[in-house]
Amino acid sequence: MSRHTYGVSGRKYVVIYRAVLMENLQYAANIAMGFFGYFVFIFIFIKLWDYIYQTPEELIAGYTKEQMIWYVMMTEMIWFGSNTGAVARQVAADIRGGNIAYLMNKPYHYTLYILAKYTGEWSIRLPMYMLLAVAIGAAMVGAIPGFRLATVPVMILCLILGITINAVFKMCISLLSFWIEDATPFQWLYDKLILVVGTVFPIEIFPRTLQALFKLTPIYTVCYGPAKLVVDFSGEKCIEILSVQFLYLAVGCVLMFLIYRKGVRKLYVNGG
Amino acid sequence: MLTAVRMQLRVCLLSVKYNIMREMLNPVTFVTNVVFMILNDAAILVQWFILFRLRGDIGGYTMKEVMLLWGLTAASFGLSRVLFTRVFSLPELIISGKLDSYLVQPKNVLLSVMTSATNISAIGDFLYGLILLVACGFSVSRLCLFLLFTVTGTVIITAFALLLGSLSFWFVRADMLGNQMVSGMISFMTYPDGIFRGISRFLLYFVIPVGMAVYHPVHIMTEFDVKMFFEVIGYAVLLMAAAMIVFYRGLRRYSSSSLMEARM
Amino acid sequence: MEQAVLFCENVQKSESDRIQALRLHESKYHEGGGIAMYVIKAEDLSKTFRVRVKEKGMRGSIRAILHPQVKEVKAVDNVTFAVEEGEMLAFIGPNGAGKSTTIKMLTGILYPDGGSVNVLGLDPIKSRKQLAHRIGTVFGQKEQLWTHLTPYDNFRFFGAIYDFSDKETEERIEELAERFELEAFINTPVRNLSLGQRIRCEIVASLIHNPSVLFLDEPTIGLDPVVKENIRELIKQMNRDYHTTIFLTSHDVGDIEKLCKRIIIVNAGQIVLDDSMEHLKRHYMKQKTQQAKDGNQPDTSGADISLEDIIMEIYQAEGRRIE
Repeated sequence: MSRHTYGVSGRKYVVIYRAVLMENLQYAANIAMGFFGYFVFIFIFIKLWDYIYQTPEELIAGYTKEQMIWYVMMTEMIWFGSNTGAVARQVAADIRGGNIAYLMNKPYHYTLYILAKYTGEWSIRLPMYMLLAVAIGAAMVGAIPGFRLATVPVMILCLILGITINAVFKMCISLLSFWIEDATPFQWLYDKLILVVGTVFPIEIFPRTLQALFKLTPIYTVCYGPAKLVVDFSGEKCIEILSVQFLYLAVGCVLMFLIYRKGVRKLYVNGG
Repeated sequence: MLTAVRMQLRVCLLSVKYNIMREMLNPVTFVTNVVFMILNDAAILVQWFILFRLRGDIGGYTMKEVMLLWGLTAASFGLSRVLFTRVFSLPELIISGKLDSYLVQPKNVLLSVMTSATNISAIGDFLYGLILLVACGFSVSRLCLFLLFTVTGTVIITAFALLLGSLSFWFVRADMLGNQMVSGMISFMTYPDGIFRGISRFLLYFVIPVGMAVYHPVHIMTEFDVKMFFEVIGYAVLLMAAAMIVFYRGLRRYSSSSLMEARM
Repeated sequence: MEQAVLFCENVQKSESDRIQALRLHESKYHEGGGIAMYVIKAEDLSKTFRVRVKEKGMRGSIRAILHPQVKEVKAVDNVTFAVEEGEMLAFIGPNGAGKSTTIKMLTGILYPDGGSVNVLGLDPIKSRKQLAHRIGTVFGQKEQLWTHLTPYDNFRFFGAIYDFSDKETEERIEELAERFELEAFINTPVRNLSLGQRIRCEIVASLIHNPSVLFLDEPTIGLDPVVKENIRELIKQMNRDYHTTIFLTSHDVGDIEKLCKRIIIVNAGQIVLDDSMEHLKRHYMKQKTQQAKDGNQPDTSGADISLEDIIMEIYQAEGRRIE
């Protein structure tokens, strides 16, 4: 295997990121078309929680109705805002289609190249969905109790970490394509786990024993963490979530590099 | 006339058979796709168990009725994607000029196009629907009604996708709109109609055809109602007729791949 | 490039010219005075596409959203011609000249904007299905076969499409397989066939219903010379054995030269030449000799002038005129 300087300089990834960002700027109008799907989801959940909360003051699992709806608005925002093809579809297609043979000998690390590309893609989408979420929230839900603008920067950091962790794990699944023909069923299961357990309601709504279990999964860092900080901020919670996120990111990256290395080796042995 | 219909059906069946044969070339992928889709659908039950822990009824539905709702949605959407999955990618076919080969065949263009591919994971959806029906109380009469409403549901979903997809004959950007509306429809189909009131209820019956696809059928299966029954069937027929008219109108504007060539 | 423009003297401009062209054609090929049997007739055929134009860069993208600019492109512009039964016709022109658009209007894929088409006495739009029973189409770049099935299963499918009973299909497959030598690979899945074998099967698949007219849109694209020759042989054989009318578009001069007796050249949606191959060559040769005599050009009358050169000159002259 030839020696490349990949990983040493991060600049090339910034260049990739910028190029993808510029390219995707053109598709802003197409992205906005996706607003409808987001709106439908939020609309359904507003109606659902309207029905389930019998009095405005009621608390369910410690959340007011507004917090509950904002929670789902935030998690769905992450979902819609970061849902692009790069980490799932493109990686699988590159591997199955044989394109990987060309890409892996380029002077960059393939997985980091995909991550840079992915980041470029969601950098347009997410802010757009953020604006939409704020607009819907203001018009149909009302303010979040106890929300302070000063905490926004740390929320955004947490959000970016969450999306990146998610991308790393999805990439790990896509890299399974080195061994199996179609990794998409595993993507669905992972997505469903995130969706059912972490997206539609906060973890506190589950029985206590399950909560402990969920804290050990990526769910805690991918969507619960960022959304929790938005609807119910506390310094303690913030430090806890951020440290778990860094831990997860490190573990996920190690896993990703390992799987990739094994996959590439398998490719060399079998010749694609 | 009757022979023409028979000949047409023969081609459609052969087409579906060949499609499934193609997907069966790799049995492992085939089975994982089907099984994982069932698991994928079943995962949503968790959400409903949690919600019913909070309140005894959701929008007037019990857990059993929600399961029935889910079962009908999964079976209808599943069947639609097993038989007519191409209708969901109609905009792409129109824009990139892929209708040509169907237009030179002496058969119904629309049917040939729609049945020219299949979606394997959708078999999982369809099976999941049947599993739910069995889980929430099986009887022969219920099965018959369920299958009938699966067919009307399939017709309604397919017609809706066809209607929106055909807009691509006029507007290139219509593909995004169509996808959004169809997935929006599926989202609405999996929640009880009782939580929607006023204008949103009206929209679900008259703009996005969710009401006739699943809400009415669930009510009929809970408590039989002749009037509702014929409403569903009439609606399915009318919507499909409207969608076909739009498709054939649009076909006159079909430009094959010439637009792509001109763009280069 | 004056001499090339001369070739385009039968460019049809006015209404009367067009009618005359039809008559001229008749007299050219039926000097004996018999009534020609036309299987394809196109009169004043036109098709215009509206294409969205976008300026370059970010600003262009934004402007395209706010004020979409639409340009009309006349893909086919008042085209008139006729094809006789059993004829082998080359319909050629540079990329974007309107060849494919014309074929698509003749086969019922596209609605014409103006003029009329008649194929085998039918209107391709009104009687699309009826016509489909009697014509065959091969689009070189588009595959109609199911790749995971064997040619045999594919032919069975096409048999069903054309309403044959299983027995009829069976007999037909047997006949075609023998005649066009497909026996060796008729039970191998199409995806495992070589490109040449695949195209053979594509062509045979479009013959299953014994069409009277066969439209071939670049049938030899991407094939090696041996396979090309093979395909040409097949097409010739078809024409000879079944008296099938062949309507061919190709960028391959070999196809045209070896198969067709008549050639129509289109450019920018208009017919710039409609002549017999023989006449075209003879005429060209005469001109070259004339020019050599006048001292304008070196004497090339003795040298072999290839069809390729002639076509190239016509394309170039036309290109210049249009610019």
